[in-house]
Amino acid sequence: MAQYLPIVIMLVLGGVFAAGSFIGSGLLAPKRPHRAKLAPYECGIVPRSEPPERFPVRFFLVAMIFIIFDIEIIFLYPFAAAAGELGTFGVIEVAGFALVVFIAFAYLVANGALSWGPSRKQSYRVVEERLASKVPTGVRGE
Amino acid sequence: MIFANVLSQLPIALPAISYKAVAPELVLFGGALLILLVSATVGKRELPGLYRAIALVAALAEGGFSGYQLYLAQGAKASLAVAGAIAYDGFSAFAGIVVAAILLLAILIGPGFIKRIAGDGPEFLVLMLISAMGATVMAQGEDLIVIFIGLEILSIALYVMVGYRIGDGLAREAAFKYFILGGFSSAIFLYGIALVYGATGTTNLAKIGAFLALNVLTHDGVLLFGLALLLLGFGFKVSAVPFHLWSPDVYQGAPTSVTGYMAAMAKVGAFAALIRVFDIAFAGQIVQWRPIVVGLAILSMVFGALFALRQRELKKILAYSSINHAGFILLGVYAGTAAAISNTLFYLIAYAVIVVGTFGLVSIVQDSIGVSEGSCSLDQLRGLARSRPALATVTAIMVLAQAGAPFTTGFLAKFSIIVSVVEIREYWVAVVAMLSAAIAVAFYLRIVLAMFRGEPEEVEGERVLAIQGAATEAPARRQALAWIGVSLSLVFTVGFGIFPQPLLDLAARAHIVG
Amino acid sequence: MTIPGSWYLVVAALLFGLGAFGVLTRRNVIVMFMSLELMLNAVNLTFVSYARMLNDVGGQVDVFFVLVVAAAEVVVGLGIIVAIFRQRATVTADDISSLKG
Repeated sequence: MAQYLPIVIMLVLGGVFAAGSFIGSGLLAPKRPHRAKLAPYECGIVPRSEPPERFPVRFFLVAMIFIIFDIEIIFLYPFAAAAGELGTFGVIEVAGFALVVFIAFAYLVANGALSWGPSRKQSYRVVEERLASKVPTGVRGE
Repeated sequence: MIFANVLSQLPIALPAISYKAVAPELVLFGGALLILLVSATVGKRELPGLYRAIALVAALAEGGFSGYQLYLAQGAKASLAVAGAIAYDGFSAFAGIVVAAILLLAILIGPGFIKRIAGDGPEFLVLMLISAMGATVMAQGEDLIVIFIGLEILSIALYVMVGYRIGDGLAREAAFKYFILGGFSSAIFLYGIALVYGATGTTNLAKIGAFLALNVLTHDGVLLFGLALLLLGFGFKVSAVPFHLWSPDVYQGAPTSVTGYMAAMAKVGAFAALIRVFDIAFAGQIVQWRPIVVGLAILSMVFGALFALRQRELKKILAYSSINHAGFILLGVYAGTAAAISNTLFYLIAYAVIVVGTFGLVSIVQDSIGVSEGSCSLDQLRGLARSRPALATVTAIMVLAQAGAPFTTGFLAKFSIIVSVVEIREYWVAVVAMLSAAIAVAFYLRIVLAMFRGEPEEVEGERVLAIQGAATEAPARRQALAWIGVSLSLVFTVGFGIFPQPLLDLAARAHIVG
Repeated sequence: MTIPGSWYLVVAALLFGLGAFGVLTRRNVIVMFMSLELMLNAVNLTFVSYARMLNDVGGQVDVFFVLVVAAAEVVVGLGIIVAIFRQRATVTADDISSLKG
């Protein structure tokens, strides 16, 4: 246990410093609250509800593609730990597994999941087809 | 640390993979991958004919392999494959044939109507094939974790299919409800698996059976709680009362052809796994789980029939009718004898074919009277017999088959389940089952009467005809294949209803040998 | 200092209960979804602690499969939620209640 002591001390010091900074600034800073200063925007109309946060669906798609490979790694890791003993059998099985994941990935790429922005012709075509087939972009990535 | 233990026991015993045993899964999954690959490489997303051909070939091949397995099995003990995680026997082979039948009908009926919603992309058929693979994995699973994976493959594909009408509020809501409650029940099911694993030290059904036969658990609380959670999870999946709350909404919100497919496929997978887990592995615990199963069965039969009476929405009536059917199938699980399991399989194939056909007809009806897939009330059916006599007649036959009218497989299915219950001398259960069947006839007749008796009001009739005129440019084409599917299910239902012996023999051969 | 295995089981059971409670009572779709994941991970903890208590590798392997299934559920679930979000601009379950059983 003794070798963990420096780490514990570092953690405690870090915590004390962070807490100290917050408490210090809270005690020392001047406070003159005003209704307008507490509002999210200091000028303009007072908002009545939280503004909707917009985020592009592209990020969602990329995150989902990441999950595919994330999952692949979950299975590759135990395989790697025992690769030598599993021999040819293991290699063939893992190759089959990787192939399945790759086909799913090929489908995603072909459907424009990785084409960012409208700069390339490919993505125009995809968008046009999408409009023609009336499939919402969001349901595409599953 | 435990991994280190395993690695120290070298060499690792490699599992022999019997490709003969997993052929049905491999063909379905291969078909799905092939469709994805074609759609990704050809550069054209919409090739409906080719996709459908691949899917049909995959479905037929799956049926062929299952048929071959059934021929090989012939009452022998279950053969275990893939390190004991997969069983193949007459039971799983028969379930595989049911899956093939559902797929065949659904591929014929579905895509034409889905095209209106989402175009001719490859996704729908891919999801269908993959969910069918999940159902076959469930039927073959000899390990609780394998059954869980099959359940999830089936369910996750179905969540997406239910959400296909994403532009429609009802459908989005249905998809979300189905997803959250489905995920909830999966988690409960999984916790049940974990507790059974804790109590017996294994998730393999054969080993669990052997362990429970040799050991007497002094504290069996964990095991029984695990069993209860497993039943709860299955109850959600087959929508048995009181876990049925999601099903009427989901049935209504989903595209109609998906509803039929889902109703059939989810029940086949879940009941096949339920029978293997409870009637075989936990046969020794029958005293403990039997009261729960019979309770679920009776509640489902009675309340399914009663709730259906107060509905006016066609798809919701059919949803409650499928809850009623789930009650009957649960009775087969409850009886648990070899003959009862054969009868349950017969019920499953009869029900699956009827329900896919019925919802296919509802699709055609909705398409013909020009309402959206989410709604079709009994009032809108009025006068259908006058405007579309053939459609109304076929629909009436299928609906009456669900009610259990003589000369259909529906009658034989209900009858043989009740016989199984009488054979184990639980007469009061049989009486309740017959009463619920009688109540059910009432709401099935309401559907038929709505089509045949009601006169369409003049103005409304003209409006309906006008919509029909506007919609008839394409429907003939998209309805043509659906009509083939519906006719197949009609021929099956009435044909085997009049000459049932071949199908009964097949089901009898398929009984499970523990 | 070793902690008895049953403590882990109790923690897992509590987490599972919390998750179930969250799914059934929370109104925010994302929070319901997170509760679902909590339930699955509570099961993972149960599997791992049983594997440790029984000195059996099976429970640990099961966790891999559960992780994968959970990830697949995340993908589909978020897909459905994003679809709802894009159409409605709200993620409160009370707003999605036009279908009534």
